[in-house]
Amino acid sequence: MKRRNFLKLLTFILGSTAVSSFAYPLIRFLAPPQTKATGERISIKKSDIPLGKGQEIVFGGTPAIVVNVQGMGYIALSRVCTHLGCLVEYNKETNRFICPCHAGTFSVEGHVISGPPPKPLARLPLNVQGDNIIIG
Amino acid sequence: MGIFNYLGKAPMRYFLLSALIIFILASSATAGYREAFEKEFLYKSWGTEEQEINACLSCHSSDIMKPEFQSIPGEWKRSWHYQNNVLCHDCHGGDYKDATMSMSHQRGFVGTPKYADIPEFCGKCHIGILRNYLESGHGKALQATGKGPNCITCHGSHNIQKASIDIINEGRCTKCHTYERAKIMKQALFATENKIRDIDNLLENLKLEGMYTGNEKRELFSTQAEFRTLFHTIDADLVKKRTDEFMQKLSAIEAKIKASFDELSFRKNFSAFLMLIFIGLSVVVSLLSKTYKD
Amino acid sequence: MRQKIKERWEERVGLKEIIRTKLKEYKVPKGVNIFYTLGIVTLLAYMVQAVSGYFLLIYYIPHPDHAFKSVQDMMNVVPFGWLLRMVHIVVSNLMVVVIILHLLSIFIMLSYKKPRELTWVAGVCLLFVTLIFCLSGYLLPWSQRSLWATTIVTNIPTAFPVIGEYIANMLRGGENVSGITLSRFFALHIAFLPPIFLSIVGFHIFLVRRLGLSTPSVSKSAEGHADAHSFYPYFFLKQVFMIMVFFSVVFFMITFMPTLFTPEAANTPADPLKTPLHIKPEWYFLAPYQMLRIIPNKFFGISMQILLIAIFMLWPFLDTKEEKNILKRPLLIVMLIAALAIWVSLTIWGKRP
Repeated sequence: MKRRNFLKLLTFILGSTAVSSFAYPLIRFLAPPQTKATGERISIKKSDIPLGKGQEIVFGGTPAIVVNVQGMGYIALSRVCTHLGCLVEYNKETNRFICPCHAGTFSVEGHVISGPPPKPLARLPLNVQGDNIIIG
Repeated sequence: MGIFNYLGKAPMRYFLLSALIIFILASSATAGYREAFEKEFLYKSWGTEEQEINACLSCHSSDIMKPEFQSIPGEWKRSWHYQNNVLCHDCHGGDYKDATMSMSHQRGFVGTPKYADIPEFCGKCHIGILRNYLESGHGKALQATGKGPNCITCHGSHNIQKASIDIINEGRCTKCHTYERAKIMKQALFATENKIRDIDNLLENLKLEGMYTGNEKRELFSTQAEFRTLFHTIDADLVKKRTDEFMQKLSAIEAKIKASFDELSFRKNFSAFLMLIFIGLSVVVSLLSKTYKD
Repeated sequence: MRQKIKERWEERVGLKEIIRTKLKEYKVPKGVNIFYTLGIVTLLAYMVQAVSGYFLLIYYIPHPDHAFKSVQDMMNVVPFGWLLRMVHIVVSNLMVVVIILHLLSIFIMLSYKKPRELTWVAGVCLLFVTLIFCLSGYLLPWSQRSLWATTIVTNIPTAFPVIGEYIANMLRGGENVSGITLSRFFALHIAFLPPIFLSIVGFHIFLVRRLGLSTPSVSKSAEGHADAHSFYPYFFLKQVFMIMVFFSVVFFMITFMPTLFTPEAANTPADPLKTPLHIKPEWYFLAPYQMLRIIPNKFFGISMQILLIAIFMLWPFLDTKEEKNILKRPLLIVMLIAALAIWVSLTIWGKRP
């Protein structure tokens, strides 16, 4: 009988170790994400971006650009080209974004016009509040 | 067998026989042949495939062509452009689907560019590099005198391979001047190129271990492309000045990759720990069950 | 205090009575071995899938634009998300292995004989429901392999002459595998199949309890369990042992072979415009896939497979000899070995390009 009790105890110990080694990951899995949800905010003054011009920023580690478009207002787009990752440049004359690596061309709203990119440029959330433009 | 007892009765026999005949007839009527099987079961890809008739390739691969034209498709097929679905018409224009319009100016055909026009020809896609090249000593020489190195001098025309630091070598660069200047440039590039290669290898390893490397690959490509575009200014001082900034970006990417490898080790250890607990449990439970054997 | 609560609970629920009659007095025949526990291991695998699946459901987004990224985020960003996903993947494959082993042991011990034919039929139905679970499940990560392997499989019904196209379109929600297919398969996987599975399992286990475990033919005990063991704790501990072994195998595979079930194509986002070179279905579908490839007539191939499935499902009604010792049935042994050999060789052949 003694052996049986010892083995029962051992099972209990190992079993609870197993259960807690699952419980810990599950709790961390379910815990609300810490910083991602609160998010970064960048604030730019309206006066910094005259009509037709763009301002380059870095948002969440990604290079991005805020453009003041004629007839459309402000738009914030990621500068990472969806083809292979090079950074696109804003061409004021033609109101297009052009990627210097393989000539991928995007419209001012980020849609692909020509070239190899498969998807449009990622859009960043943008709000205009008074004199400020808030991204994020 | 139980069910075969039924076969003895006449109506059943006739029923089964007629079912068999109908089955055979129906099968032969709706036959699909084996080659059709694979093609019909696989979704038809819309990307340009080799099976599609390419007017350019069909003429240029045939024996009516002069040898120097006939060798072009073969060279192109060994190139990095081919691997990335860059086809004849992407550079030369023309209509690749219609043989009669394949070399028509209406469809944008430009033919073989002249020596001095080659930078613009390649620069249709490689914009950033064209810009830097035109500002460089090489570009200025070409524009002023019509002589000097253009894109194909270093990269070839159809058998273009992935760029590497060994394009700069004594044989090539001494065609016009001494190797000294090229050597300085190569040294300026050397450390960064090595780091890029090392990070590329690390990414391959990470991929083999099952992690998705898409984002890091893009960052690496973007940094690498910017760095190599810079090279085309042929300005060793500029390269040296900006090397620090590139090395920093590369180190940041490397740190991210190392963190991924650390994460993978942690995962391995954690699941190994769980495995050991369960092995222990199975041993203990089996011993426990033996104590109940009455 | 604890004693008082126990007494009050006992008055209302009567747990002791249940434990006594259903667990302690319920007997299993002498000579039952670990192969008898494979059934509960399968059920446990299902439970693990349900639980891990629930947690994955929290972070998964069933839309073609977000599905792949949500799975990658789970693997790399969510703390211990990798553990849950790996468990889900490994157990989904191991569950099929355990089902096959369970099936084989039932067959070899001829436990499907009268009166247990319906248990066998329910079991085969469960096998097919599991395979549909697997099929609908591996579209969900929306990788290259998901998209193209599903394209192949959903094209199979087109072999039927008149209704084939219609069936395939119903499955896919259109001409091609797309976001519509993803939504359908997702609903199938998480909402439609689980109750079906559980009800068939309920029936299966009800029959097993009602009819009792079949006596192994080599055991000296008579069919009426005259000298048998009590279920609890003897057989119960055997089951727990096999469950621990199962988990050990699961974590062994997660530790030492984490990429076994995720080839490169499974880690690349789906691209409807690019067909990868060698797409293969999962290993458990390789045998029927290869069979279809070698039979030149599509309709004939599929009808053959349906016929084989029907024979498989209704086997206890076709094989009515009462002998329960397989060693006394050499023809059956030969048939079993032949069938296994064909299945294994088709699977290996199917793996080659």
